[in-house]
Amino acid sequence: MKTPSGWRSGDGALWLSTGAVTLTLLLTVTLLVLLGRVGFGHFWPEPLGTFTFHPGTAQAPLVAAQREQGAFTLAEGGMETRTLLRTGNRDTAAPDFRWIADASLRSAHFDPAAIELERRSWGPALGLLAPPKAPAADRAALAARQWARLEEALALPSQVRTGSLTLYSADGSARPLPLAEVVRAWRPNAMTFAEKLSLYFSRIGAFISEPPREANTEGGIFPALFGTVLMVMLMTVVVTPIGVVAALYLHEYAPQGPLTQMLRIAVNNLAGVPSIVYGVFGLGFFVYLVGGSLDRAFFADTLPAPTFGTPGLLWASLTLALLTLPVMIVATEEGLSRIPRQLREASLALGATRFETLRYVILPQALPAVLTGVILAVARGAGEVAPLMLVGVVKLAPELPLDGTFPFLHLDRQFMHLGFHIYDLAFQSPNVEAARPLVYASALLLVLMIVLLNLGAVLLRAYLRGRHRDPLG
Amino acid sequence: MTDTPTLTFDPADTCLKVEQLSVSYDGKAALREVSLTVPRHRVTAFIGPSGCGKSTLLRSFNRMNDLIRGVEVTGQIHLFGEDILAPKVDVTVLRRRIGMVFQQPNPFPMSVFDNVAYGLRLQGLSDQRALEREVEWALRSAALWDEVKDRLEASALTLSGGQQQRLVIARAIAIRPEVLLLDEPASALDPISTLKIEELIGQLAEAYSIIVVTHNMQQAARVSDYTAFLYLGELVEFSATDDLFTRPQARQTEDYITGRYG
Amino acid sequence: MREHISGQYDAELDELRAMVTEMGGLVERQLQAVCLGLSTWDADPAEPVAALDKAVNRLEVSIDDACTHIIARRQPTASDLRLVMSIVKAITDLERIGDETTRIAKMLETLCALPALRDPLPELTEMMERVQSMLADALNAFVRVDEERALEVITRDRAVDRAYEALVSRLLEAMEASPERLRSYHNIIWCARSFERIGDHAKNVCEYIIYLARGKDVRHQGLGSAN
Repeated sequence: MKTPSGWRSGDGALWLSTGAVTLTLLLTVTLLVLLGRVGFGHFWPEPLGTFTFHPGTAQAPLVAAQREQGAFTLAEGGMETRTLLRTGNRDTAAPDFRWIADASLRSAHFDPAAIELERRSWGPALGLLAPPKAPAADRAALAARQWARLEEALALPSQVRTGSLTLYSADGSARPLPLAEVVRAWRPNAMTFAEKLSLYFSRIGAFISEPPREANTEGGIFPALFGTVLMVMLMTVVVTPIGVVAALYLHEYAPQGPLTQMLRIAVNNLAGVPSIVYGVFGLGFFVYLVGGSLDRAFFADTLPAPTFGTPGLLWASLTLALLTLPVMIVATEEGLSRIPRQLREASLALGATRFETLRYVILPQALPAVLTGVILAVARGAGEVAPLMLVGVVKLAPELPLDGTFPFLHLDRQFMHLGFHIYDLAFQSPNVEAARPLVYASALLLVLMIVLLNLGAVLLRAYLRGRHRDPLG
Repeated sequence: MTDTPTLTFDPADTCLKVEQLSVSYDGKAALREVSLTVPRHRVTAFIGPSGCGKSTLLRSFNRMNDLIRGVEVTGQIHLFGEDILAPKVDVTVLRRRIGMVFQQPNPFPMSVFDNVAYGLRLQGLSDQRALEREVEWALRSAALWDEVKDRLEASALTLSGGQQQRLVIARAIAIRPEVLLLDEPASALDPISTLKIEELIGQLAEAYSIIVVTHNMQQAARVSDYTAFLYLGELVEFSATDDLFTRPQARQTEDYITGRYG
Repeated sequence: MREHISGQYDAELDELRAMVTEMGGLVERQLQAVCLGLSTWDADPAEPVAALDKAVNRLEVSIDDACTHIIARRQPTASDLRLVMSIVKAITDLERIGDETTRIAKMLETLCALPALRDPLPELTEMMERVQSMLADALNAFVRVDEERALEVITRDRAVDRAYEALVSRLLEAMEASPERLRSYHNIIWCARSFERIGDHAKNVCEYIIYLARGKDVRHQGLGSAN
């Protein structure tokens, strides 16, 4: 017998499918690497150079960090390279990012007295702890003295700090910087690798755990992270029981006829409705109709100021629950249909009622499928932005929806969401260059958060499946 | 059919009495006016080609047909004189009196112990020691105890196919039914497991009235005391197994059991 | 009878029937040969009987094998089972008939060396005719599973028995009358005894035919229950 060759041998199909998988993996890895490098590279302390320029250029010397290299086309033809310098000091020497043609750059040296300060406002301040022209010994002593004072002050709460630091620019001019303004400070040129690493992680920690400042371009994203997780959890709590019960009805109780089939098709089609439509529906139905009615019924004394009749956490969660309901129903029903008929019959034949069969045989078996539904719903829900803008997500929420004051969980509050945060940083930020790394970092966190939520569900599902695995498959 | 060769038994020895039973699915007749009596504490086999109605007849006894939409049942079935098709009959109670074992071994994805205890727990038995006693009894009756006594907490799905089927039989007899319905109980098993099941059927017949549906005629010949042959929804012949397999009275029976059906 | 779903099975059963028919034919030839020899007082026609008997014995073994094979492989039921069982039993009887003819052939050799008889023996002729027709009819009935013919053949065995008794008393008288021919008469009695046995075997075959047709065993029950 002749062995089939070429495409018919199946090797082609094997290569094709392997290639597709490899491509997918490659893209995923690229995505994560890109997000991680740009996003989390931002937190690594960059060396600060003192840059001087050729006399012909009008540029005064600068203390700055190099961001990236680029090229530009000259008016008279030809190409030249240029460098993006992050100069900070938005308050005194805006702009804080400058493209400098490499040709005009005369020299750069990395002064150990260079310092970067994270401030409460105006973004980072970059400068020198001692005047650049002074004798070396005096400079070192002054820089050490100023650093000691700074460290001492940073150990205190900002409210009780007094005095200020003298920050010198590259051309020697000095300005005072109130110590109370400083959040964090480091001398990148004088740091060891270990110190840099520890600073790096402490900045990432702060990014994750602190609220944002400066129109979200500074500080952390904790409220957005918290809001996202809380909303997804609320959504899951709502969508899971409803989805499971709906699937149970469709699969176990509803008479299997054209009507049920139509219902099923309708549910499947709901999954394809654009998410913004859900947002509009949520706004019209939940916020205005349901929320408005609630207000008139229970919070009439505070009207016209709305309590529930305005976008908020509850409505956002409910809208997303509605959005993910089809996924939940389809996944659960799929799981139910995979349970062999014989198991139902076995239970019924032992004198179990329909409900007992559902409760003791069907549901435990369907649980992994339910969790699959939860995973899909979470992935879908956590990534949604468009509908949320209509029903409760805001750029900046002054308070977390969960706190120590009664009733602790404030379902009526507006909240921040990572997806929307990314959108806001990327499109609405006044300071594009400053916001750019944060877009990536936030995106990576969003991905990681979804991965973590899913991982939890996957592990739970694996555990449930493993309990009674048939060794023969 | 009025001239159907059939047997009758003394009322005291009659377990199930079927009279003029007709079953149809969505208007399609599956059984036509079947009448027969099933003896008590004997093994009765239903044989016939696929679609002859033997499984439908079996499933009429514990009213599993009720689960199928569009089913219509006329006629009467009496279990020890009691009408089981009456609307007021509680099917869950009926199914506790008439246990059933299916073609595919279908243990629940639970432990061996929980499988056997399932029916008992449904009946409200929750005392652990009583459960253990009953489970052991059922497993011993199903000739499985020695094989599983050391792994009662293991998943039932780790058992072999033959063991699973005996586990399912143990699960069925744990609630001590009066009748045991076996729907092709060995058709998914290897020959050795099949022989074990057949041996078990013989032993169980001492305490239960057993009805076996099989399309394996040799199996019916081996395990049963009486055999009913059904064809196209009608009872063609119901005789002692010895007679049916050596000198069937109906031509259709003869053709079927000698392999001339077709 | 309709065909089996398995054509192979049908072929096996047909072959079995053909082998039985062949065996019956051989036995019939043996019987004809010895009858001819006896009526003509000549040993020559009976000469092939011994060789035929070997063939009959070989066939019996083959048929036995074939039956075992069918039982093991096909697990015959109902009429098939009865057919195989009847064949297993019938060939034993046929083989015995063959043995009897061989015995007669040997007697015939001895007889022909002795002086011929003076008086005719009509009872012996009657027996030979009756037994031959019984065997022929039994074999026919077997091939056709003809229950009525088989019943009728069974009834004819009584006539053979009566002829045998009459022949024996006639020969006993003749022995007293002419003791010098004692050996001849004695041998003829032995031959007659063999014919009587052949009749019994033919009758047995017919009983199997009734079992084959009806599924009822009529052996040792007399004809009352067979009817």
